Amino acid sequence: MEVKAVSRVKVSDIGKNVEQLVRLDLKDLMPLPPPYDKPGMEPEMTQPKDEWRLKYATDLDGYIGIDIPWKPQNKEEEELLTQRFLEGLKKLLSEEGNWTFLQPLLLSLEYCAKCQTCSEACPIYVSSGRKEIYRPTYRSEILRRIWKKYLTKTGKLFSDEVELNAKTILRLGELAYRCTLCRRCTQTCPLGLDNGLITHEIRKLFSSELGIAPKPLHELGAKQHLKIGSSTGMTPEGFKDIVKFIEEDIKEKYGKNIKIPIDEKSADILLIHNAGEYLSWPENPAAFAIIFEEAGISWTLSSELVGYDAVNYGVWYDDVMLARIALKHIEAARKLDVKKIVIGECGHAHKALTVVADRVLFDEYNIPRESCLPLLWDIVEKNKLNLDPSRNNFPVTLHDPCNIVRLMGIVKPQRNILSKICPQFREMNPSGVYNYCCGGGSGFAIMQSMNFPEWRSKIASRMKFKQILEAFRDTVENPEVPKYVCAPCSNCKGALRDTFEHYQATSRYNIQYGGLADLIVNAMVDLKTPYLEFLK
Amino acid sequence: MDRWYGVGVVEVLPVSTYVTIVVFIVGLIYVWVKWSGKPLHLRWELYPVPHEPGRTHYGGSYMEEVDWSKRKLSKSLTEELKEMLKEMLFLKRVYTYNRPLWYITFLFHGGIYMILLWFASLLVYSVLTVYVSETVASIIMLDRLNQFFGYVGIFATTIGVIGLLIRRVADNSMREYSGKVDYFNLIFILVVLLTGFIALSVDPYFSLARMYMVMIVSFQMTQLPELHPLTILHIILLQLLWIYIPYSKMSHFLGKWFTYHKILWDDEPNIRGSRIEYRVKEIIRGYKIPWSGPHMKKDKSWLENASEVE
Repeated sequence: MEVKAVSRVKVSDIGKNVEQLVRLDLKDLMPLPPPYDKPGMEPEMTQPKDEWRLKYATDLDGYIGIDIPWKPQNKEEEELLTQRFLEGLKKLLSEEGNWTFLQPLLLSLEYCAKCQTCSEACPIYVSSGRKEIYRPTYRSEILRRIWKKYLTKTGKLFSDEVELNAKTILRLGELAYRCTLCRRCTQTCPLGLDNGLITHEIRKLFSSELGIAPKPLHELGAKQHLKIGSSTGMTPEGFKDIVKFIEEDIKEKYGKNIKIPIDEKSADILLIHNAGEYLSWPENPAAFAIIFEEAGISWTLSSELVGYDAVNYGVWYDDVMLARIALKHIEAARKLDVKKIVIGECGHAHKALTVVADRVLFDEYNIPRESCLPLLWDIVEKNKLNLDPSRNNFPVTLHDPCNIVRLMGIVKPQRNILSKICPQFREMNPSGVYNYCCGGGSGFAIMQSMNFPEWRSKIASRMKFKQILEAFRDTVENPEVPKYVCAPCSNCKGALRDTFEHYQATSRYNIQYGGLADLIVNAMVDLKTPYLEFLK
Repeated sequence: MDRWYGVGVVEVLPVSTYVTIVVFIVGLIYVWVKWSGKPLHLRWELYPVPHEPGRTHYGGSYMEEVDWSKRKLSKSLTEELKEMLKEMLFLKRVYTYNRPLWYITFLFHGGIYMILLWFASLLVYSVLTVYVSETVASIIMLDRLNQFFGYVGIFATTIGVIGLLIRRVADNSMREYSGKVDYFNLIFILVVLLTGFIALSVDPYFSLARMYMVMIVSFQMTQLPELHPLTILHIILLQLLWIYIPYSKMSHFLGKWFTYHKILWDDEPNIRGSRIEYRVKEIIRGYKIPWSGPHMKKDKSWLENASEVE
């Protein structure tokens, strides 16, 4: 079906009665460097199926982030949606409803000078070929105008053009899932305003008041996490089985007899991994077990409900869910009477438990929480492992997970390790706190419904893929040379996995990805065979 | 200017000047209290945070260390002030990320700083003249300095504001997003500046301005110098602008303090027994959730919502 879209989108077009505001085309996107600069190197963009249009909000760009059927089916439902949205907005701007982020939100809404300095910092806006709807200020300006027009006394007189109708709300809801909350835009704002936060707050309004959020984040994510124990659906029993399997695997492949401690009381450290690791990349928790065993660390895993899955999807869309999960993590640590929690290679789990949830904890719940990266560097720096860098003698680059680096300032430990154990380590450009997001941030990595993965790989991950190709430009076209993107974050790995698959980067050019602990173990002298699969 | 209900506009000017000063200060206090009175928010810092000793240059934090919570954390106020001054005086972020805009906005903001220095030198000159001696004021060349700041200030700000207006209209991305208030603010400033040029043309050495300020600081309202009607219009508009500033987006110089110091650079951990922990307890026990989402326990406290999971 041919869909009419608006040719030059304005802020006031958000409520326009057209089926789809924007139609994306491959030829408009940011070009990729060699060898992806030739035609036919990536699949064309597709349009949503007609049946999707009936239930989901395809009204923005045709892609579906919110995969629950929330499209109003008649006038009454449209009016109800509008009313409930406004109710939610009032609560979002109140102290009771939103003490958690009221000050930053109001400052960002009040002071924007519309200078657009932030736009070029946004990988999604730039990758899309600078489509207006993805400009960091676009969704913020819509929310700002709705607030001024409908909820302030002077609004009617001084507000700027915006129409609050069902189309506006449907598109705004989807727009909240076209930003990875990487907050690169905020770094450039001369006034310190935060369009990433405004995105987060729009998500919160939809979730907290209307119960609308992508299924993988809320229903199958945070809710399942609290109920079953893990967002992956893994039960405590299932978790224990997997750990057993990992022990056997380590013994079988590397001849090491390691007993992975579970529920050991009074250990120094409770290590919590993203449970996705156990299912998709068990070599990473296995690597931690090998390293900790060798380094003589006092540690344990927990089989307590929630205690074996570090993820906290609440951090992306709902503060109450964030607090609920964080409290469960702390309870697991308290039960085991450990000295501190150390979070495995998972970026958002780092930020959620260490930083964002810091101000919902008190008294005996306020126990130390730390990143695994300084600990890994401490182990490597003090030569607690016998490492041979020549085992990692292939091109390695480092992806900086936004949550760990830009949002927590943990920049050096991972670099120190790579500089010591990878002779061909090279930085991406830009890197460190100015890195680009992998495209999987803010939950995108786990949002796999309908056509969303296509949008993610083509738009959200495009800048990161460009950076990777440029980092490996000397050997990129030689499939004989394995090239490793070190991504110390589960969600980033998920996004890289899907991106490499989309562009066939592994099968064509031998571009691999994996964690940091995996690389450390690969350099261990006493391992008879390489630890990294692609070297075998 | 004509008389209005028996009172000359000119006679009201000194009084309205005092009123303006008071309203302006009260306005700034109001803005300060408004923002600082907002509840404690969750941590949402963004690196680089400039007060991390030895780590600012690459954006590192205390969380790069094992067992950081056992150590006494230190902050470098010098580093923070350095970054603040770079941003305030030179508009560092616009310079780095939006150079074409910087040329214009730097002229505008630099011009405003010069006008503020003009005001300050005028004030010091007048205070010295009234309370010390005019000779002292002359010896330190305050009148010359005053002229320099005044001329550079008014020209730079005017060119800047015209540039900002043109850019806002000419640049698609700025025009589409700019609202009525954005234009009003710039036009208001431009009108004040243009009337300022007229005032300047009848008082090129600022001698009337100095006399006016002497009258203000000496509280001798009867010694009002004779002013050109357009100068009076300029003073009235200038007063209205000062009254308007705290209640408009132009108070961003205060807002910016909060966005940086209280949000983006606020990395203060919640330590057991700290003031932050006390506030956290108060908030999460006190606030009740108003949200209606199906997973919310409406009207129950934050603590109940967070700890009671079905």
